[in-house]
Amino acid sequence: MTQTITIDPVTRLEGHGKITIMLDSQGQVEDAHFHVTQVRGFEKFSEGRPFYEMPSLMARICGICPVSHLLASAKACEAIMAVRIPHTAAQLRRMLNMAQMVQSHALSFFHLSSPDLLLGMESDPVKRNIFGVAAARPDLGLAGIGLRRFGQHIIELLGTKRIHTGWVVPGGVTEALSAAHRDEILAMLPEAYANVKLALTAYKQIADSFSQEIEVFANFPSNYLGLINEDESIEFTDGALRLIDPTGAIIEDGMTASRFTEVIGEAVENYSYTKFVYYKPLGYPQGSYRVGPLPRLNIVKSMGTPQADKELAEFKQLAKGPIESSFHYHHARLVEALYGVENIERILTDPLILDKHVRATAGVNRLEGGGQIEAPRGTLNHHYKVDENGKITWANLVVATGHNNNAMNRGVLQSARAYVKDGKFTPGALNRVEAVIRAFDPCLSCSTHAFGQMPLVMTMVNADGEVVDQLIR
Amino acid sequence: MRGDDGVGLWLAEWAEQRFADQLGVRVIADHQWTPELAEDVARAQSVLFIDCSLDTAPGSLHLKPVEPAAPGQGINTHHQNAAELLALANELYHSLPSNPQLLTIGAGSIEFGEAFSAAVSAALPEACRLIEETILQMLSAPPPDPAN
Repeated sequence: MTQTITIDPVTRLEGHGKITIMLDSQGQVEDAHFHVTQVRGFEKFSEGRPFYEMPSLMARICGICPVSHLLASAKACEAIMAVRIPHTAAQLRRMLNMAQMVQSHALSFFHLSSPDLLLGMESDPVKRNIFGVAAARPDLGLAGIGLRRFGQHIIELLGTKRIHTGWVVPGGVTEALSAAHRDEILAMLPEAYANVKLALTAYKQIADSFSQEIEVFANFPSNYLGLINEDESIEFTDGALRLIDPTGAIIEDGMTASRFTEVIGEAVENYSYTKFVYYKPLGYPQGSYRVGPLPRLNIVKSMGTPQADKELAEFKQLAKGPIESSFHYHHARLVEALYGVENIERILTDPLILDKHVRATAGVNRLEGGGQIEAPRGTLNHHYKVDENGKITWANLVVATGHNNNAMNRGVLQSARAYVKDGKFTPGALNRVEAVIRAFDPCLSCSTHAFGQMPLVMTMVNADGEVVDQLIR
Repeated sequence: MRGDDGVGLWLAEWAEQRFADQLGVRVIADHQWTPELAEDVARAQSVLFIDCSLDTAPGSLHLKPVEPAAPGQGINTHHQNAAELLALANELYHSLPSNPQLLTIGAGSIEFGEAFSAAVSAALPEACRLIEETILQMLSAPPPDPAN
């Protein structure tokens, strides 16, 4: 008798999703799917809009990572305008991107994943939340809030709003940085450093106790994609894409946004609205890969900042080649957060950072343009086509969750096979299957908002459609 | 972009303008109530939360005291509600505002669109009056006794 277990919706993710686990007649896991069940339609309803409206329109996709969409969209628009933005504008955008990365990684680590990491996968689900963390480790609770505030406040200082700032525009930014705001950000740095280091120390103290999870949390050879600089250091806002294979060998390098659709394809599976992104020359699914903090650290040779470089060297000791277990996304996220703080400090010491020339202007000079950046959770690409009047005729967004879709599905199956036995599921097993997805920190669509509680329902259904077991929390 | 879902933000921005010259009033207009707001809540003498609600009749207004949520109720962590923010403020900062209030306005439609429903649009003047009255009452309340 074939049975199906559904985990619906998945808790502690940005947006909504559900997991279905299919059992064979012996009660063993046969297959597993991670479904994204929301439809957004941003690509379609942007058609007909003037291209210069796109950044502020696209920022509405997400309440957690609006800056990522803002930047990728602005870069796509600048490709259409065929302009190079002023140096200071580029630096300010980098700082904005770093601020968002730090606050997003803080949300992922402290608020979404630390309940599992600090309180344990088997701990009481009623207490396995930010309140449990605040009670058990108030210092980490405060550090999490401190890092969130650090990133959010920089975004607010630069863009006047913490969420959906309209400061980034095609051609640059609308306002230069003031000396007062620069000094305010500089004054926040010591606390930010302390909070990241506290998290790194706490994580390293507990990581070894998760050896079983490390073994089965999407732990398999794969390809890895991310932005990188010419000196092989990490990059989030500019640079070009590099794809490496499971051994670390470069498959393709120097992929600019203009070549993105030439080499990257999107496959469709009937159980999810999120597409499955792959490298075209290898086909689907062989050309699937992972993006985000772990792949970024797998790809680069250095972080480019002293403290993060020390952490990178330690991180790379986890394996001889690319690090395969997605559990290590947590560690990579903290290394990147440290890099983010260091990079913000470095940008603020740029002698031109207060320069008033922060915007280039131009009209439509090309009928097509693409922009790519690294969002906190992975590579993000925006690609637009316009008519002679600058009206959008076609838009395509390839988001990190799509890049990671195949790996997340494989990870769910791997963990389900490890933890769901004989047609039985326990709350601990359920949480571990969810935690695999949380390690990737996918953003499904938080701007749609969720009202009230999001109960977790896991249902086991037999081949006749009868519910034979159900777990609700 | 989600119709009446934006009414809380609209009202907050109205309050920001109304009390722009009023010392002691700070308006935070956000699309989501995120965990770091717990620090702002903890530092405030009084707090008025404003949000739309799917659980009440379209355009209906409800102003009521809000208590910290008891820890351990399966709370979401990517955004909080008012009771959860109060609980987090208490847990991390050991501080709570006196007499925190929550004003909700019943949503008529949260479909894609920038306009409010007719019911919510009609309720906006009364909502603004309630916000003004509540904030003025909060400002006139005596400061809490530090000994308590």
